[in-house]
Amino acid sequence: MATTEGDAAAPQRRAAWILLAPFLVLFLGTFVAPIGYAIYQSFIRVERAGLFGEEGTTSSFAGLRNYAEAFANNEFVGSIGQMFLFGVVQVPVMIAAATVLALLLESASARWPAAFRAAYFMPYGVPGVIASVLWSFLYVPGLSPIIDVAALVGIDIDFLGPSMVLWSIANIVTWTYTGYNMLIIVAQLKAIPAEIYEAARVDGAGPLRVAGSVQLPLIRPALLLTIVFSIIGTLQIFAEPQILQQVSTAVGNEYTPNMAAFDAAFNYNDYNLAAAEAVIIALTAFALSFVFLRLTNRGQR
Amino acid sequence: MRSRAAKEHGVQWSRRTALQAGLGLGAGALVGACGSGRAADPDGSVHLTYWSWLKDLQLVCDVWNAQRPDVQVEAVWIQPGPDGGYQKMFSALATGGGPDLAQVELRQTPAFLLVDGLVDTRRYGADAVLDRYEQAILGQVTFNDAVYALPQDWGPTAWFYRTDLLEEIGAEPPQTWPEWAELAREFRATDRYLDIFNPSDGSYFAALAMQAGATWFAIDDDTWVVSIDDDATLETADFFDRAVREDLVSTSLAPFSPGWFAAANEGRLGACMSASWADALIEGAAGTAGLWQVAPMPRWDGGYGSAQLGGSTTAVFSTSPHPAEATEFAIWMTTAPEAIDAQIEHSGIGWSPVPDHIGTPREQPSEFFGGQRYNEEVFVPAAEQQHPDWTWAPTTQQVFNELSDGFVRAVSGGSSLVEACRRTQTAAVEMLTDKGLNARAA
Repeated sequence: MATTEGDAAAPQRRAAWILLAPFLVLFLGTFVAPIGYAIYQSFIRVERAGLFGEEGTTSSFAGLRNYAEAFANNEFVGSIGQMFLFGVVQVPVMIAAATVLALLLESASARWPAAFRAAYFMPYGVPGVIASVLWSFLYVPGLSPIIDVAALVGIDIDFLGPSMVLWSIANIVTWTYTGYNMLIIVAQLKAIPAEIYEAARVDGAGPLRVAGSVQLPLIRPALLLTIVFSIIGTLQIFAEPQILQQVSTAVGNEYTPNMAAFDAAFNYNDYNLAAAEAVIIALTAFALSFVFLRLTNRGQR
Repeated sequence: MRSRAAKEHGVQWSRRTALQAGLGLGAGALVGACGSGRAADPDGSVHLTYWSWLKDLQLVCDVWNAQRPDVQVEAVWIQPGPDGGYQKMFSALATGGGPDLAQVELRQTPAFLLVDGLVDTRRYGADAVLDRYEQAILGQVTFNDAVYALPQDWGPTAWFYRTDLLEEIGAEPPQTWPEWAELAREFRATDRYLDIFNPSDGSYFAALAMQAGATWFAIDDDTWVVSIDDDATLETADFFDRAVREDLVSTSLAPFSPGWFAAANEGRLGACMSASWADALIEGAAGTAGLWQVAPMPRWDGGYGSAQLGGSTTAVFSTSPHPAEATEFAIWMTTAPEAIDAQIEHSGIGWSPVPDHIGTPREQPSEFFGGQRYNEEVFVPAAEQQHPDWTWAPTTQQVFNELSDGFVRAVSGGSSLVEACRRTQTAAVEMLTDKGLNARAA
């Protein structure tokens, strides 16, 4: 009996592998292999003889030397700290704004919710590079109408100065992604069954009470999802500061972790260091997301 | 989800993008020419490919092509080197499929030697013309007695200033840097800035230190000797530390950025320390025609009359199957009067690398600069008063970035330029040893 069962299962198992093969090939080739190669590269270093290596070069196992170099680079470590500060402020602001917008659009008294939903989502359709170019014109002294108007009422504001530029970037990021996060939350709000609202109304709950006691607890999974996405996204900010670098002297070449890795790879030709930095960025994003989920799970219990 | 990091849009400020696009924000991101196909030679003629970010370079190559049916050169536009062009060249060299010739900045040539990317032009007849180049500039591409690239253009520095604004307060162009500081103070009293200090570009400070007589890199046998903390450098840094602290210079306007042009057009800037190629950029401040002139740099007690800011070479790649023909073309490109004139006319190149021909268009007086013949009056002498022993390291870009990161911190109040130089000195030695090279502090 056992053998016949096994024989029957074997072709099925083969079929499963065949059907999985396209996925596996792509997954291994475009996901596992590049990550594995980056990790491998992060443990290699090159030695050169002569002024330029004209008398020969050798590659060797570097141990953790590239990682030590990355951590010894104050700019790189500082950029992670910088993004931490950025995230602590920008992510709550953005998620709060997205939640409020979503609740307003899903409230019974909302007018033209579809039109507003599309309008709020629209910035997400603008590529980050273009958004940064557009905003940079609103930040540059002499071109920006905002600065001119602020000057009229006696406020001297420098959007691109060292103390402000981080928040100018945060503004672009918030502008771009609030609508996107709002949409995720709206989708979850729409999934709340009408009976729950009815029950709440029967119990005499007003709109605020419904939002606080019914909607917020029920959209918790969507909120967690958007926050984790935002934490990961914060560590990966690249296009906005890279563009603002052209108009702001306060944005260095290693202003964000991704810019630092980019710098190591393509300005210095040091792919091994860049690989180490990339691994560190990925692990940091992973650790932060994990810690956040652990903390929120504990809160739930 | 913010991770749509557009790596291909690695737009950094560069004066060439500015030159091509005026106020071109993000202009460097627009085009990405490609193609390194090496055409077959059916009639026995040689076909060379030439990567460069100079505009309309093909028009210059066509002058050569008309004379030399046996060696045809095709110019391929690529992104400016620091904006992704070098990345493209490095990967081409790694795969062996790159162009025969490429534009490489003077300061970047040692980095190409790290990957064994350049041909010694002396092996293919460059000896015949070496004495025609500005020797201080030629020295920057000469290593181990080999000349690894031929200088194509460069930028001797001088002092561009607004005659009307100086006259308003009865001032003359300053002869010395202390006089410059005094003038900057008078300018601040009228709520204007005399000039800017650009903390985000290391090459700008390198030019100031070079003029003061600094020597950041030297070669001792097979060892790099680093001294970014020598007296001349630290004195220059200290001078500008005081200028920044006293708010004598604007540190928030990147040169030739939209904000800079707005300030220049509104008469909020009195001068611009820059190189010869800045003339075309300053002409972008269209409202100020006829109001600018050029004076020699303010001087230190020691040091030199001018310095070098920017500059490129025509380099022959080691992967080229036709190094002799490519070198022959590079020699023509960088020394023939008709080639230099054509590059000025079509491509807007910087200062001519050969003192015996500054370029016919540059012998004319300029209307924008108040009818001054500034090229002959100011830049010809400036080109002769250069640091003769300046050397770039294979890590120049990295050093500049380290320096500018430190400078950005300094002007935001956390530190000082002097401190940034000291830290860069330590870091620069490490950068070289991290590349697997021998290096020590001076």
